[in-house]
Amino acid sequence: MQNRVITLCYKKIIGKNTRGIWNEYVFQASFAEYKIQVQNYDQKKCYRSYSALLQAKPEASNLPFLLSGAAMPYLKQLNEFIPDVTNNLGKKTLKFKKFSLEIIESSIDDPNQHKIAINFFSEPVLWLDTINDFLLVSTQQRHSDIFDTELIQLIPYLNIHSLTFKDHDQANSR
Amino acid sequence: MERKKFLKSLSLFAASMPVLLNACEKDHQLASMGDGADVSIDQSCTVTPSETEGPFPTKSPSSYVRSDIKKSDGLGVDMEANITIVNVNDNCSALQGAIVDVWHCDVAGNYSQYGGTRMQSTNYQEVHWFRGRQTSNSDGLVTFQTIFPGWYQSRATHIHVHIYNASGNSLLVTQIAFQDSICNTVNVDGSAYGYKKGMTGYTYNANDNVFNDSAALEMSTVKGSLAAGFNMEITIKVSA
Repeated sequence: MQNRVITLCYKKIIGKNTRGIWNEYVFQASFAEYKIQVQNYDQKKCYRSYSALLQAKPEASNLPFLLSGAAMPYLKQLNEFIPDVTNNLGKKTLKFKKFSLEIIESSIDDPNQHKIAINFFSEPVLWLDTINDFLLVSTQQRHSDIFDTELIQLIPYLNIHSLTFKDHDQANSR
Repeated sequence: MERKKFLKSLSLFAASMPVLLNACEKDHQLASMGDGADVSIDQSCTVTPSETEGPFPTKSPSSYVRSDIKKSDGLGVDMEANITIVNVNDNCSALQGAIVDVWHCDVAGNYSQYGGTRMQSTNYQEVHWFRGRQTSNSDGLVTFQTIFPGWYQSRATHIHVHIYNASGNSLLVTQIAFQDSICNTVNVDGSAYGYKKGMTGYTYNANDNVFNDSAALEMSTVKGSLAAGFNMEITIKVSA
C-alpha cells in the first residue's frame, strides 16, 4: 500500500478592502514597502502601476521578494499556522515554513490598486482519504495502527501543491 | 452595550474552559461566574462582529529595520559598516532622519532572493540576509553589523546603498567600493572564513563598469584584520 504525502498551498489575497487586523497590517506594510522599493527600479517614478513598470523593466520582478521583508514580521506572528484554512472544528492546524509573496497589482500613489497574494506552503501531510470536499490528512508520516487526523475543507485558493508516493515499508524505515 | 461586552467575555471564558480545567484541576470548587441566564439572540440585520484572530497581531516594522544583517551560516569576516550621510545643500553637514538601505552578497557572491523552482518559495525564517535599513542619527550615521562581502563575476567587491529622505523619497542610489588590496587579502587568505574563490577572474576597481570612473568618490576606509574583524567607514553626500 502506498502513502500519499502531499503539501498544500493556500493563496491568501490581500487588498485595500480585505478585513481583519492582520490583513490590514500586512496591506499597510506592503504598500509602504512597495513605495520605497519601487524606486530601485523607477527612481523618477515614471510608472504609476506595477504592471506598467514590469513591462518596461523586467528586473522589477524582484519586487515581490523585496516586499516580503515587510510582511515577514506578520508571518512570524502566525506561529507557523496557515491562516484561514481550518479543520472541521474551525481550528487552524496546517503548519507552514515556506511562503512566497506575489504582487497582483500596485500603484505608487493609489492604495486602492495595491493587491498582493501570500502563498503559504504547508509542511508535508499524509493524505489518507477524501470525504466530500474535505481531505482527511495526518501529520504522522509513518504507518500506524491509529492516525491522528484532521479533516481539512477544500476552500477556494487551497491547492494540492505536491504529491509524493511512499510505501509503508519505506515510511517505516525512516 | 456594556452588557453585551460582558456577555461576550463570558463566551470567551467558556471557550477556553477545557484548557483551564486541565491546568487547574484543584480548582473545581470555584464558584461559577455570571448568573447563567440565556443570551437573547440578536435578530437585527447587522454584520456579525468579527472576532480576534489569535494570536493578536501587533504592528511591526519591516524586517529590514535592524542593524545586524548577517546571515545565520556564520561565514565571512565580521565587519562593522559605519555610513555617514551628509547634505551637500547644507554645507555637507550631517543629515538626520535619512532612511538608508544597504544590501550586498554573501561570501559566495549570492544575494538573498527567492530561490528554487517550487513557485519561488522561501523559508520565512531564512530570507533577507545582508539586507538592512537604518535611519541616520543626529551625526548622520547609520551602523550595520555584517561581513566583508564576497564577489561575483564581472564586478568588484561592493555594497549597494539606497538613501531616502524621511518621507521615503529616493535621494541617491550608490555603491560602496573597497580597495583592491583589502579584497585581495580577504579572498586569498580568508578561506577559513568561507571565502573560497580566491582572486582568479576578479574584476578590479579600474576595470569595474560601476567604479572605473568614480572609485575615488565611493571608496571606503577599512581597518582591522581577518582575525579581529573589520571596521568600514564612508561618508556619502546627498542632495537633500
